[in-house]
Amino acid sequence: MLTDPHFGFIFAAYFIAALIFLGVSLWIWVDHRHVTRALDELEQTGLRRRSEREKG
Amino acid sequence: MSIFTYANPQRFLRFVHYVLLPVLLIGGVLSAVGLYAAFALAPADYQQGETVRIMYIHVPAAWLSMACYGLMALSSIGTLVWRHPLADVSARAMAPIGAAFTIICLVTGSLWGRPMWGTWWVWDARLTSVLVLFLIYCGILALWNAFEDPARAGRAAAVMTLVGAINLPIIKFSVDWWNTLHQPASVFRMGGPTIDKSMLWPLLLVAIGMTIVMIGLHLAAMRNEILARRLRTMRVMAASGEGHAH
Repeated sequence: MLTDPHFGFIFAAYFIAALIFLGVSLWIWVDHRHVTRALDELEQTGLRRRSEREKG
Repeated sequence: MSIFTYANPQRFLRFVHYVLLPVLLIGGVLSAVGLYAAFALAPADYQQGETVRIMYIHVPAAWLSMACYGLMALSSIGTLVWRHPLADVSARAMAPIGAAFTIICLVTGSLWGRPMWGTWWVWDARLTSVLVLFLIYCGILALWNAFEDPARAGRAAAVMTLVGAINLPIIKFSVDWWNTLHQPASVFRMGGPTIDKSMLWPLLLVAIGMTIVMIGLHLAAMRNEILARRLRTMRVMAASGEGHAH
């Protein structure tokens, strides 16, 4: 396959697909870290949601 | 178990905590095995040669671009009809994933078209309707960001999603209704697949694997969206001086 005249097209297709796919996965992972860290910081100030306060 | 069993976001977060990693692992392994079979076991095409390998990523991406939109449309019905608490969370989480699969479909299709058709792009009904799908995804994402209140954004995006759903049958049947350069369906068609079995099973394996990965990404993005809404509520409470434990 490496000697195929269209190898560049096949490689580019998989490379770009992997890049887009990894980009979305990374964005979801970074977003999760960002939002959980921000929630932890708020909770450390003693802030509680209504449902959490009702629990005790 | 009904669709309301996991309506409680806290219960849903616990569910995601346990299933996310296994789902992503199963999907990843199936996709990897499918791609190995696509490159090592499946033969080259008698006309396309090795370029047929692009099909193993292009076709599943095309299916998933439509499946993601179909799930968004179902979630939108959940938002507008049942006011299901997780419906608009689901729709919002799915939009960027669906847009990603659509752009993968468009780019890989273009990279296949250049050597096979002699052109990167033609304005035929199939290609144009998939481009329209991508633009609809972008419009829905922009609409979500245009509203500060997620509930209002959810209802507006749900209406837009359902209007845009008319594009799904247009994409599917475009190759039958119009004279297109894009080939007609060769897997999901009346009379069964026309593609050879040696190529069909790796294709289906990649498609199943990528579908499971897509479900995993969707669950992860839904978890982020629930936490982001929780963060927003807590910031509003902090700003109003409410919510501190005494």
